[in-house]
Amino acid sequence: MPTADGLPGIGGIARGKAVGARVTRVEDPKLLLGEARYVADLALPRMLHAAFVRSPHAHARVVSVDPTPAAAQPGVVAVLTGETLTALPLEDAAVHPTLPKTPQPAIATDRVRWAGEAVALVIAESAYLAEDAAEHVLVEYDPLGVLDDLDAALASDAPLIHDHLPGNVLIRDHYSHGDVNAIFQSADHVFQRQIHHNRLAASPMETRGCLADYRRSTGLLTFWSSTQTPDLLRLMLSIVLDHPHQRLQVIAPDVGGGFGPKMSTYPEEVAVAFASRLLGRPVRWIEDRREHMLTTNHAKEQRIDLSIAANADGRFLAFRARYVSDSGAYSFNSATALIEPQLAAGLMPGIYDVQAYEYELLAVMTNKTPIGPYRGVGWTAGHTTREVLIDEIARELGADPTELRLANMIRADMLPYRSATGLEYDSGSNERAVAKAVEAAGYDAVRRAQREADPTADRRVGIGVSPYVEPTAYGTEIAEQSGYPYSSHDNATVTVGPTGTVRVSVGVCSQGQGHQTTFAQLAADALGVSVGDVEVVAGDTERAPFGLGTYASRGAVIGGGAVALAATQVRSRILKLGGDLLEAAPEDLRIEDSIISVIGSPDVSISLADVAGAAYFDPAVRGPGEEFVLSAMSFYDPRPTFSNGCFVAVAEVDLDTGGVRILRFVAVEDCGTVLNPMIVEGQVRGAVAQGVGAALLEGLVYDGDGQLLTASFMDYLLPLASDVPAIEVHHMETPSPRTVGGIKGMGESGLMASPAAIINAVLDAVSPYDPALVELPLTPEGVLRLAGRLPAS
Amino acid sequence: MNTRELSLVLNGVPARAVVETRKTLADVLREDFGLVGTKLGCEHGVCGACTVLVDGAAVRSCLLFAVQVEGLSVDTVEGLSATGELSEVQEAFRRHHALQCGFCTPGLLMSVTEYLRDADPADDDELRDALSGNVCRCTGYQGIVDAVRQLVDDRRSADADG
Repeated sequence: MPTADGLPGIGGIARGKAVGARVTRVEDPKLLLGEARYVADLALPRMLHAAFVRSPHAHARVVSVDPTPAAAQPGVVAVLTGETLTALPLEDAAVHPTLPKTPQPAIATDRVRWAGEAVALVIAESAYLAEDAAEHVLVEYDPLGVLDDLDAALASDAPLIHDHLPGNVLIRDHYSHGDVNAIFQSADHVFQRQIHHNRLAASPMETRGCLADYRRSTGLLTFWSSTQTPDLLRLMLSIVLDHPHQRLQVIAPDVGGGFGPKMSTYPEEVAVAFASRLLGRPVRWIEDRREHMLTTNHAKEQRIDLSIAANADGRFLAFRARYVSDSGAYSFNSATALIEPQLAAGLMPGIYDVQAYEYELLAVMTNKTPIGPYRGVGWTAGHTTREVLIDEIARELGADPTELRLANMIRADMLPYRSATGLEYDSGSNERAVAKAVEAAGYDAVRRAQREADPTADRRVGIGVSPYVEPTAYGTEIAEQSGYPYSSHDNATVTVGPTGTVRVSVGVCSQGQGHQTTFAQLAADALGVSVGDVEVVAGDTERAPFGLGTYASRGAVIGGGAVALAATQVRSRILKLGGDLLEAAPEDLRIEDSIISVIGSPDVSISLADVAGAAYFDPAVRGPGEEFVLSAMSFYDPRPTFSNGCFVAVAEVDLDTGGVRILRFVAVEDCGTVLNPMIVEGQVRGAVAQGVGAALLEGLVYDGDGQLLTASFMDYLLPLASDVPAIEVHHMETPSPRTVGGIKGMGESGLMASPAAIINAVLDAVSPYDPALVELPLTPEGVLRLAGRLPAS
Repeated sequence: MNTRELSLVLNGVPARAVVETRKTLADVLREDFGLVGTKLGCEHGVCGACTVLVDGAAVRSCLLFAVQVEGLSVDTVEGLSATGELSEVQEAFRRHHALQCGFCTPGLLMSVTEYLRDADPADDDELRDALSGNVCRCTGYQGIVDAVRQLVDDRRSADADG
């Protein structure tokens, strides 16, 4: 629809030179010049340093903690234990009627539940001295039985990790939609696959860290943290420390990657804030990588068993699934231990038209690092299970896996569509995205080459296709639909200053996603200024309005939508005043290049700076009782919208070594209105690279005593440039009818759907061996097992 | 606490400090000289975020003691641009969206600076191998490969012209 100034509009937002363009990022120069400031780069006068003493036992009673030898070490200012640190335990804030809480102390008191849980905190004049002294804290443990995996935790004689959770099950839940039993009984075929999904570490390159500065004179606590959610952290700290909310400021400075784990409030943050308040001095803690692997939330481990009932033609009739998540030691405060199984279960029907579906889910507690969010929470495991099983069905039925998917897919003409779990898909390009992806990847040529290949060759090529829908715009409504009811919205303030330049402040902060650029693009087009005339402020509870932060692909839709709404309000005030000054009707005006002019008469014009100057300084422009505040604050809680797309991977498997080489990777992404294609491509590629890791390289491994065997980057393998293929991204653009500007969220699909494409390519390559995938990642050893070159595990 | 006087050439300028002998070069750069552009990602020599140039060679500053660079020259990200304008390498990174959160970027810039001195990759696979000493968790490496590819190509055509 056309906007007031005649610019082509998209669903109510102005689109000028910036939105949709490959605008290079405004945040880049500071990052490239070494001028960015992450929390470890911040220092304050009289600053102290913290080091945590951590349990070497996965499960034990803490008999005693003696801090006195440590307190006598050089440079030590204080040693805190669970007894002397008096904060309330951390609990999730979920509103769920039957979900028990597992209160988590900042420092353990009588019991430790995973190897790495903190038992004391040493504060000293330097980080080196604090770490030296930490070795002198004397802790006596009485070891308890260890729940090192699901089988151990679910055994009838298993010790209890939390005394109030019988059987170590936090929650068991059921859901049913349609007559699943009858369909399964009468179906021509029933196919089944169980996969144990690997435990992952999101591994942002910057570890966690925080700096607390409490001033006794004012009672003000300023808290810098490498967090994705400054306002939620502020609220949680205020509660557990009983600190007045109005005297607590949380700042997320430059943050070196998030991907989910930096959403939660961590025990260390509570402890460091407590220590600063106790000592009246700034205290900083910077996590090292080993601590990060041991204590920052792990992700995605669950066992999924999926059955699909189908008719003779391969039409899917019903799904039945069981989700058992290995949730670690606490139901973590980010979103509880339910997040993995619940979100996997909710999206299992995915892009397919299946209305009969039932599931059971269990969240099981174990003596491991707590599970929390990581990009595509739940969806990665669920999507992978389903797509692997669909390829198996195709092999069993002798069908082409792409044709089988298309035959069962929710086509664009079936949208809007309500899924069996109540997700309301709004719009998309489902089957067109598949067609584009398989064409770009040369699907038919790969199939031809496979038919012509030497069947005895050790190097075999396979192809995997993985179409998806991605829930985005995590507002209140989709939170409800996903089984996590909470109020999810955001706010933004847009101000045109007296010189005609723009300041945007927004509660959605960045961990590298480029929000400063995309939000500036939106504000620039709404107000007819250049991107350089817009400054975006975020990540500071004092300088930005309340916001829930950055997670769940909510930045562009909710943050961007809020910015566009506020900017549009300011725009109408500028046009009103500009109209008065030009003696023209506001609807006849346009703003471009910071000039307000009459449409069709460009000579009748006034600069934005003059209009803004008049609003601020010229009382004559105001009628009686009139005011021109060139600032507006918006509130935005969008309706759900769903992105879609399709990934195709072509992989070569070496049956001699088990090595996998990804030859091609094609991603077709439809996230509605594209604000900045360069940034969208970067999000897709980054998430796909994480998918390469999830599929082939990464896995957190524990031994039978609950000791993490993969606590360094020597053992936990992140994808390198040589592991990741060129990732070819194609855009499709189906604007959402439901959101401001038609914007849909994106950023998680890459990790949700790329592992399935890669895994299916590998399984396709070894298909003559009837591969039965039971666990991930697909290491060379795993590949050789699937191909029968090594005995099955 | 053992200390020793350290003198070196830091980003082209002679510098001195009394440093603890047990401190890593990375910590001394960051804490004693205030050059916090150099990042610590793993502190065990895998991720490459702390890469600096010592006498022109790309090294992990988390694996060296500062006292080991006595009398040598050390270059960090802060030395890449004297004016605050982006250098050729930095500009290529920006143009090709070779960074997101920026935490691995200083180390990558230093590795690439060294690599470009005599880089002659036959193809992108070789280029990717050369870049595989630095972990980036955000970009999927594509932008980095594209940026370095362009820098290599620019250099080749400059050599051909020269």
